[in-house]
Amino acid sequence: MRHVRRRRSSGLSGEGVASLLEAASPSKTASEVVIRATGLVREYGSVVAVAGIDLELGAGEFLTIFGPNGAGKSSLLGLLGGSARPTRGTVSVRGEELDFGVESWRHRIGVLSHKSFLYSELTAAENLRFFGRLFGLTDLATRVPERLEHVGLTNRAHLMVSQLSHGMRQRLALARALLHDPDVVLLDEPYTGLDPSAAAVLRGVLTELKDGRRTVIMVTHNLGEGLHLASRVAIQVSGRFAWEGEVAELDAANFERFYHRVVEGRT
Amino acid sequence: MAYLGQIRAIVWKDLLLELRTRERLVSMGAFAVLAAVLFNYAIDKTIVRPQDVAAGLIWMTIIFGGLLGVGRTFHLEAQDGAFQGVLMSPTPKDAVFLGKAISNFLLLYLVSLLVVAVFMLFFDLELGSSPTALALALGLGSLGFVSLGTLFAAVSSGTRMGETLLPVLVFPLLVPMVIYGVGATGRLLALRPVTEVAGSIRMLAAFAVMALGAGAFLFRFVVED
Repeated sequence: MRHVRRRRSSGLSGEGVASLLEAASPSKTASEVVIRATGLVREYGSVVAVAGIDLELGAGEFLTIFGPNGAGKSSLLGLLGGSARPTRGTVSVRGEELDFGVESWRHRIGVLSHKSFLYSELTAAENLRFFGRLFGLTDLATRVPERLEHVGLTNRAHLMVSQLSHGMRQRLALARALLHDPDVVLLDEPYTGLDPSAAAVLRGVLTELKDGRRTVIMVTHNLGEGLHLASRVAIQVSGRFAWEGEVAELDAANFERFYHRVVEGRT
Repeated sequence: MAYLGQIRAIVWKDLLLELRTRERLVSMGAFAVLAAVLFNYAIDKTIVRPQDVAAGLIWMTIIFGGLLGVGRTFHLEAQDGAFQGVLMSPTPKDAVFLGKAISNFLLLYLVSLLVVAVFMLFFDLELGSSPTALALALGLGSLGFVSLGTLFAAVSSGTRMGETLLPVLVFPLLVPMVIYGVGATGRLLALRPVTEVAGSIRMLAAFAVMALGAGAFLFRFVVED
């Protein structure tokens, strides 16, 4: 395994963070950065879920975050998606800082979780129309059928979500997450509970996200799926990125062994 | 206009879900009818004149029945994280609150009218000196009640005690509504002139506006992490 770049999040702030970010992505200008997190910390009482993470990603980048249970991966995603407030640090999308008093930045973010965020007693089409209205979309008559077709659910449009299989529900949830064409897509364990064929279908749809326009951050325990899709990889341990690098420079065949070494602190 | 569209979308979704599940309307409606039947047997009409106690019983039935429905407001929302999806949309939190309060109001107002109809039947009541004023008093009282109920249902849904906590939180705040609601309803059922209840109706309106405003302002602090 070639260790290409290793960056431990330090919880630094101010100039320290700025220089760290610059060193990590020397060629990325401010205008190219889509999402930037600086000195991100989240504490729940005495428990530190996210312990000072800095990251910046540009359009077309797909970051997969691996890590053991309790590493703070979902907490990090919650901070990046604006569903939780950071204890310290900031997140900005296309230069606009996530401000909880203003909701407009939520247009830029789409979230897919292992929970579907769908109403089980509404049909697939009704769910998309409802969320589309919340996002202020006006072309729902054409957009909803398009998105249902994109995830292969056209002939299930009028079924209640409660009547859909878990795999179909997950694809519909993805259609919901992408309905408003977000710049940043956050995927939290999207493969949880899917059988191999449903996972393959979801993989196909997720692969299409690598269209060069979007920035994708995925949290998963599934090393194979995570590596397959990623352009960058981070391994999060105890709230920090214990390792971070480009996927192209990884030895995929031995990644599992490397992952365990990082998690156990042997590298 | 987008703001109103977002409120409308939440009202539409809530009413559609209620139409499909009938979860709250059936429980509130059944409670109202059964409570009226029991009150009918609980009062000795040879000693107490029904119209003297009807107003208080009507409002208590509306409040207890309403709690059944309002307390379930966030039950369907919690399934599969649906409400989290709403909170992660750009919809302002006060619009989310107003949408939910309006849909709760429509359901509770329907139940309030049912309660009055059932009490008229069992207690041999007349519609009162001014059906319009009676409908207005019930509407304003219901609006104040659902405003507080929706806010505190959000609070209690995030606790282990859940719905059992809701009456403990809401009842103390309902005292002004009960005083003026019962006062106005009692006088109208006793065929007193509308001018006598104008003050009570104004107080009910002020209570409803304050409860709705406070709910819209505070909802953000309840639902945000």
